[in-house]
Amino acid sequence: MKPDALRGHLDALLLATLDGRQLHGYAIIEALQQGSGGALDLPTGTVYPALRRLERAGHVVSDWSTVGGRKRRTYRLTQAGRKALHAERDAWREFTTVIDGVLGGGGKWAQT
Amino acid sequence: MGADVIDGYVTDLGSRLRGSKRQVRDLLTETRDSLTDATEAHLGRGLTEQEAQRRAVEEFGPVREIANEYQAELAVAYGTRTLIWLAVVLPLMHMAWEYGRMLLIGPWQDFGTRPPSWYLVVAQANDLTSGIASGVALLALVLGRMLARRYDARLLARTAATISFLAVGAVLLGNLAIIAATAHVDPARLVQSLPMSTASLITWTVIVRLGLLARRCLSCATIVG
Repeated sequence: MKPDALRGHLDALLLATLDGRQLHGYAIIEALQQGSGGALDLPTGTVYPALRRLERAGHVVSDWSTVGGRKRRTYRLTQAGRKALHAERDAWREFTTVIDGVLGGGGKWAQT
Repeated sequence: MGADVIDGYVTDLGSRLRGSKRQVRDLLTETRDSLTDATEAHLGRGLTEQEAQRRAVEEFGPVREIANEYQAELAVAYGTRTLIWLAVVLPLMHMAWEYGRMLLIGPWQDFGTRPPSWYLVVAQANDLTSGIASGVALLALVLGRMLARRYDARLLARTAATISFLAVGAVLLGNLAIIAATAHVDPARLVQSLPMSTASLITWTVIVRLGLLARRCLSCATIVG
């Protein structure tokens, strides 16, 4: 999938990846790639500024902790982050329902 | 040889970044960790050390593009720090100065000769400028947090830098105006007591510090491409 198509959805993808768990940067990148079956093709370096942006918005908090013998910055969702994720999921469902109605082949456009 | 690929990338990235030293260090530490993790993952897939590092760096993204994104966040962080200083330090400085004046000099009406009415207008305008500057900084902080995801970091950084620069400029002008007015009305009042001269010196030290913060804030925001 093209990076430009993903960029607008990166915040929501990161929120979903951190749902219910605390992860460090590379673990988030791995989880994103695994979750997409390897289809997410974004420069991995863009994940870190996006995490900072989410932290600025109060949706994520980070702590330095020792993971696997190395000091790492780990991230987790805040209450506001969980609410934002909920809103992102609702908006995505609404968006895909509308677009699928037109592009999905079952609508009036497909029959004409 | 292989280790040079990650070292070279991190050094190149670091040389392009401006901002709080701690934040730059944190970002570079995270970058190195991420590249090391990716290298280990590629080694596990059978690549050589050098190939693994090269692949990790390629996946991380072109250094210019990544530096630009990092710099935008560093600039916003520096802008936030400067706005916090403005929002917190200006009212504290003003309260300390006014309290000191009341304690050491007394109310304006206790002066032998009451200052002219225009002098009190200048004094009140100076007080108001400081209050407005700190209020605007506080408002910008709250809005910045609310709009963090809606607006591009570059725009937020430039807005924070502009507000900081204007706020410090207004405070500076206000203080210069009151000094000029005092010098015009009664120059002796400028150096009438050591404690008040010390308080004035502290005030000016804080204003210079705020000015330096605002200038650096602007420089961090304007090198973002």
